[in-house]
Amino acid sequence: MIIAADHLSKWYGHVSGLNDVTVSLPEGITGLLGPNGAGKSTFMKLVTGQLRPSAGSVRVFGEPIWGNPAQYRRLGFCPEHDAFYDHMTGVEWVAALARLHGMDDDAAAAAAKRALEAVDLLDVGHRKIGSYSKGMRQRVKLAQAIAHDPQLLILDEPLSGMDPLMRRRTIRLIKEWASAGKSIVVSSHILHEIEAMTANIVLMHNGRVVAEGDVHQIRALIDEHPHRVWIRAQDPQAVARTLLARLEPSRGVADDVASVRFEEGAVVVETPKPDAFYARLTEIAASGEAGLIEEVTSPDDNLQAVFTYLVKP
Amino acid sequence: MPIHDQGYRHYTGGRALHGRGWWVIAHHGVLDRLRERRFLALLLFAWSLFVFRAVELYIGTTVIRGAFFFAPSEETFRTFLEQQRLFVFFITIYAGAGLIATDRQSNALQIYLSKPITRNNYIGGKLLTLALFLVAVTWFPAMLLLVLQILFSGSLDFVISHPRLVPAITLASMLQVALASMMMLALSSLSRSRRFAAMMYAGIVIFAGVLDGALERVSGNPLWVLISPQNTLLLLIDSIFGVPPDDTAVLGLAVAAFAILLAACLFTLERRVHAVDVVA
Amino acid sequence: MSGPLLGPARRMFELALGEMLWGRRAVFMGLAAGAPILLAVVARLTLAGGSAVLVVNGSRIDSEAMFGTAVSLLYLRFIVPALGVFYGTSLIAEEIEEKTITYLFVRPMARGAIVLGKYLAYLVCVVAVVLPSAALVFVIMVPFASIGPLFGTVLRDLGVMALGLATYGALFLWAGVSFKRPLVGGLIFVFGWESVALVLPGYVRRLTIAYYLQPTVPGVATLLAVAIIALFLAMQTIERREYVLEQ
Repeated sequence: MIIAADHLSKWYGHVSGLNDVTVSLPEGITGLLGPNGAGKSTFMKLVTGQLRPSAGSVRVFGEPIWGNPAQYRRLGFCPEHDAFYDHMTGVEWVAALARLHGMDDDAAAAAAKRALEAVDLLDVGHRKIGSYSKGMRQRVKLAQAIAHDPQLLILDEPLSGMDPLMRRRTIRLIKEWASAGKSIVVSSHILHEIEAMTANIVLMHNGRVVAEGDVHQIRALIDEHPHRVWIRAQDPQAVARTLLARLEPSRGVADDVASVRFEEGAVVVETPKPDAFYARLTEIAASGEAGLIEEVTSPDDNLQAVFTYLVKP
Repeated sequence: MPIHDQGYRHYTGGRALHGRGWWVIAHHGVLDRLRERRFLALLLFAWSLFVFRAVELYIGTTVIRGAFFFAPSEETFRTFLEQQRLFVFFITIYAGAGLIATDRQSNALQIYLSKPITRNNYIGGKLLTLALFLVAVTWFPAMLLLVLQILFSGSLDFVISHPRLVPAITLASMLQVALASMMMLALSSLSRSRRFAAMMYAGIVIFAGVLDGALERVSGNPLWVLISPQNTLLLLIDSIFGVPPDDTAVLGLAVAAFAILLAACLFTLERRVHAVDVVA
Repeated sequence: MSGPLLGPARRMFELALGEMLWGRRAVFMGLAAGAPILLAVVARLTLAGGSAVLVVNGSRIDSEAMFGTAVSLLYLRFIVPALGVFYGTSLIAEEIEEKTITYLFVRPMARGAIVLGKYLAYLVCVVAVVLPSAALVFVIMVPFASIGPLFGTVLRDLGVMALGLATYGALFLWAGVSFKRPLVGGLIFVFGWESVALVLPGYVRRLTIAYYLQPTVPGVATLLAVAIIALFLAMQTIERREYVLEQ
């Protein structure tokens, strides 16, 4: 595990920022999710050694991070806040920070240019950061995080302020970095963006970890919210009859069907046992006994559903 | 109906007409500052001289009557206002440096000016925020000293025999407040850093004063006073209290310099307070 | 420089040097350096205008004594402490306020190296600006024939100024690392406390830095000690403290 938090807590005076968090983040991309005030930034600041734990511990690459500056050789951090040396150009700033990693002038300049090229900023690298747009400022922040080729990237709301095209490109970039062997922890409250990057999430709320792991596995565990499956068919009523007909008489109802309702040209089924249900549905579709089944989707087998069901206001 | 609707209700109250924005800004600015204990401590400490003077007045009017060194005079109030300059300096820096600089840093100017308030409303509100604190440590304690003098002596003789005292205190205080608040606000509008605005103000006040003193002594020319806003103000306050400079031409130039400085501050504010900054 | 502290401090020094010399921050240093030169020019022109000597407060004062007065009153009582307050408090406090300190904290270097590097950059800049200014004032004010005999005194004065800049800078650097609004406190210390304490009797005046900058007081060891201790405390404080940046 790249990051291991053990009973980690952080208080700001009387306000609890993080409450007894025990979580281990594996290699690869991990999405850190939660509403505003959930504790994501606090967790990231603890992981990057900005803050000292009030209780518990956090280890990065197996070592404590607070007061251990050597660890920063392997870590790159893109903070959420918009803060720069505005009078410096993009190249100057990224190179200056790269020099603080021990690179000589030439190596730092080359690293800065590579990083800026990776985030599509090389052509404006000669301009002062003060003249950059919000999206460009966000990208130059990413550039300084990757310039020294770290193993672990901690990205706090990295897509904030970017236009849709740049968001897609940045998501692709993050996935490329992960493919190249880097581990990335990225926080956001934009669920579909996290979903586009990874299925491995840590969901936080009120300073606690509410769920962690694969989003589909988490979804499957949320029993009180059965899966909804939307089935578009030539004869939705026939599909419904077939689904309900295959039941155990002693029980009176198909135990993988909780409810059935109809929409225009479709039947929507709620199932507490999605795996069993899908297996049965496949058989029905293959046999053709309910007519042609045209489309099957699950509107809530996704992060939004996990988020909504677990993070209740 | 027994169960009341708990849903959203549209505001049905009145809305203040265009032009009251300055009061809202000032009101919130003052309350924000007063929540800081350090600032409250500074304000309280700024009244320490008032306490000392009040005791002095008490002694002079009740305990040891007629003793010339305790007897109040116009000089008492003039020196009180001049001595309060130190607190005016620190309160101006503490409360004034970030008034506009912080808004520029956080891009709040766009939010302010997207509301139905004018730039003048915004500037007026910010000015009033600082001016209220400065009045609280200049005009208000000076007038309170006068009231105490009346109360302790049990007569209005002192005020009647010094008819220009009340207008002098008021005018001198207003000049002090106007200079400090306008300068600080103008400097705050020039930067996105509260700290840099504070440094600029402190630098101008301190260095100009020292430089003026040194140049006047070296050259013997009293006109060097015009390079120091604080010393120019002192000259004007002295004149208001009936202690004009030897060279009356300097007084005229001091008035002109003061007016030019205030105009320059207003011009700076007019140029700097905009919703959008164009970055080349 | 080499080693776990010195190498990073050197890199931080190079970065901070550019920061110190950039734009508006350099304006203060320029003003601090230029104002005494203006004074010196006026004094010299006054002398050249026919006044054989100048009279200040009823006492006849020649240009050599005027230079001494400029050093003790203008430089040591105003310019040196003012630069120490303005720049010393800003070194770290401004990074915290601007939230750029985050980028420095996540570099593989001890936090103390950040402090050390920035302090050295401050010292180099202010010394490089103030000392030549004072030297120029000396050359302008003092007649050519007197320059040689007074050279030793001037060197001593320049050394005292450098020591003052180092001490005030270190002290207010520590204040900047430790407190949220160090500038106001620094101004109160320098222009409030020191002004009052220096005229009080007894040992009170020894609780100021200005006391040890006086030519009659052997203060080199004390000033060096204060500077080193303050710098050490600043380095220790930043290592131990966490900075919660306002959102």
